[in-house]
Amino acid sequence: MVALPRAAVRQDRIPAGVTTRDAIHGDLVWDADVVIAGSGAGGATLAAELAECGLDVVIVEEGRYYTTRDFTADASAAVRALYRDGGATMALGDPPVLFQEGRAVGGSTVINGGMSWRTPERILDRWGREAGVDGVRPADMEPYFARVERRIHVAYQDPESIGTDNHLLKRGADAMGWKVIPNLRNQVHCPGSNNCAFGCPTGAKQSALVSYIPRALHFGARLLSDVRVERILFDGKRATGLTGSVVGADGEPSHRVTVRAKLTVAACGAIQTPALLARSGVRSPSGRIGHNLSLHPNVKLTAVFDQPVRGWEGVHQAYQVREFEGEGLLFAAVNIPPGILAMTSHPRGEELHRMMSDYDRTVVAGMLCEDTATGRVRTLGGRPQAFYQLADFDADKLVRGVALLSELLFAAGARRIATPFAGVPELHRAEDTRLLYAHKIPKRAMEVVTVHMMGTAAMGSDRTRAVTDSYGAVHDADRLMVCDASLFPTPIGVNPMETIMALATRAAARVLDTWQA
Amino acid sequence: MSYTHAPTTAALLRSLVPVMCPAIALPLADAIVDHVGLTMGALPTQFRRALVTGIYGYDTLAIAWGPGGRRRAHRLPPSLAEAYYLSWEHGPTPAHQQLAKGVGQLIKLACYEHPTMQAALGYTPTPWIEQVKQRRLATYRGDIERHDASLIAPDPLRPPIAKTSAKERA
Repeated sequence: MVALPRAAVRQDRIPAGVTTRDAIHGDLVWDADVVIAGSGAGGATLAAELAECGLDVVIVEEGRYYTTRDFTADASAAVRALYRDGGATMALGDPPVLFQEGRAVGGSTVINGGMSWRTPERILDRWGREAGVDGVRPADMEPYFARVERRIHVAYQDPESIGTDNHLLKRGADAMGWKVIPNLRNQVHCPGSNNCAFGCPTGAKQSALVSYIPRALHFGARLLSDVRVERILFDGKRATGLTGSVVGADGEPSHRVTVRAKLTVAACGAIQTPALLARSGVRSPSGRIGHNLSLHPNVKLTAVFDQPVRGWEGVHQAYQVREFEGEGLLFAAVNIPPGILAMTSHPRGEELHRMMSDYDRTVVAGMLCEDTATGRVRTLGGRPQAFYQLADFDADKLVRGVALLSELLFAAGARRIATPFAGVPELHRAEDTRLLYAHKIPKRAMEVVTVHMMGTAAMGSDRTRAVTDSYGAVHDADRLMVCDASLFPTPIGVNPMETIMALATRAAARVLDTWQA
Repeated sequence: MSYTHAPTTAALLRSLVPVMCPAIALPLADAIVDHVGLTMGALPTQFRRALVTGIYGYDTLAIAWGPGGRRRAHRLPPSLAEAYYLSWEHGPTPAHQQLAKGVGQLIKLACYEHPTMQAALGYTPTPWIEQVKQRRLATYRGDIERHDASLIAPDPLRPPIAKTSAKERA
């Protein structure tokens, strides 16, 4: 075990400054300068920046505090522990879209793939031009991106960490003459355990859990885990803190927790934040709380090769194929464990086992689709429910993406490919991709998933169109901010973590520049 | 969360194991059903109740399914169990289809999460993780320590604001 310099960044115990449900034996009332609901990419970053500059910060997180030592290859145990509702969260529509949210200290950064890309300049330009967001020109954002990248150690992978599945993806892209680039990831010499989605067992991935949270704690922030925030407290239009309940091991609420603060921040992600605002009675002049949901619909296909692949031996997504970025499509190799692959595959019984028997020779590849439709998060009985209708244009784009990705994998040597479309037979050669265009594939036949939910409390200077101002302060409320992917006016076409962190850093600068005790 | 299958729920799930899983997994049926219980325990309460109700409906409506001989689904022999499952998978409403798909997914997940099935596939991630974890620490110890130190090194975004005292906050 490496001797780590201070307790705050140890990866084998709960550090000082964290109060879990085990230490809460009655109702609790705390005071702070700033209270933040959510400890993910937005909340943890904001907390660390504000705490270092002297503000008394309390982070309130619904999930548990896990240490690196808790993370293993037991995928289904990890899903039950780290994912909201055991991963069974779904946007209703045609097709229904399964989505995942992290529910643990560190939020979704604990279960993401660690891709760390700046917001594309075309997106920042669009936000300024179409959404009226001030101060997000590429030059404005540059120092914030640089600061985040330093903190979470954004870097390319060491060559020895790249596994066969990613080498095959690159080989196929090279054979097709397509643009393929090494991925930037938040990692310190990630050795390629390919367990990113179930908690990094090596501590290499610099999730908020092992980067911004320890930093925030080191500079005096306090963290309450196992506390579900129920609503924001108000005095007129002025937010005065949060209240919620301790979540017991049985999931039931127990003691009440209230944190009174001069500034209140919702950083619960694009599904939970609009629900928290709605439960708290926040009314936006724009009427847009919960609207504008985009989610980068994602489909996966499985390609069987003659050679051993052993996709679990090597890093998750070492490369991205960027040839079709202009069309809003990115491709990557995304190995997933057998149980989850079986669960999301159409065959069953012996047919399923024939497919699974080739697991060690299988490349799982997926795509990110920059969507054009928007859905909505409604709050029903206090709980958020997402609704999302895949646009015809985006459905066609997914079909085209599967066809292109199949061509790439055949060029890399794939022998057969199972598509994410029910009723479409296996593909055995590149020419078979024409089958995908022969008949319109119904949307209900598509197995669509996502981990990128965005846009449900969008920022912008026009209070009649946006929920918050350009820095996340909620229009028509006082001392209330949003600090997560809810702020995105549009989908961004790349993995959103670094954008969230950069916007949180920018929001911290704004808070500090305008702070009045 | 604490959740335990009711006996008929467990029996119904067990009857679906031969439908969803390969023959090699049949000796693991009890473990598969238990694993489904763990997954259902992680679901939100309302969702789980709806699922249990759906499973109950699936089980009892088999009585009205002609080929079933007025038996509940968990009493159907494997060949009829499969035909009955198909009648739901391609059922008349999205609710039928989603229930069949959802229950099937839980069973398939449980099947291939079982260590015996994973070993049969040659899936051995734990030794690999341990190997690369040790290699990382041995090879890059200095860089890791430097980064960990940087995580708590001062680098304020703005000049510090004077700390407010607890008394002032109160």
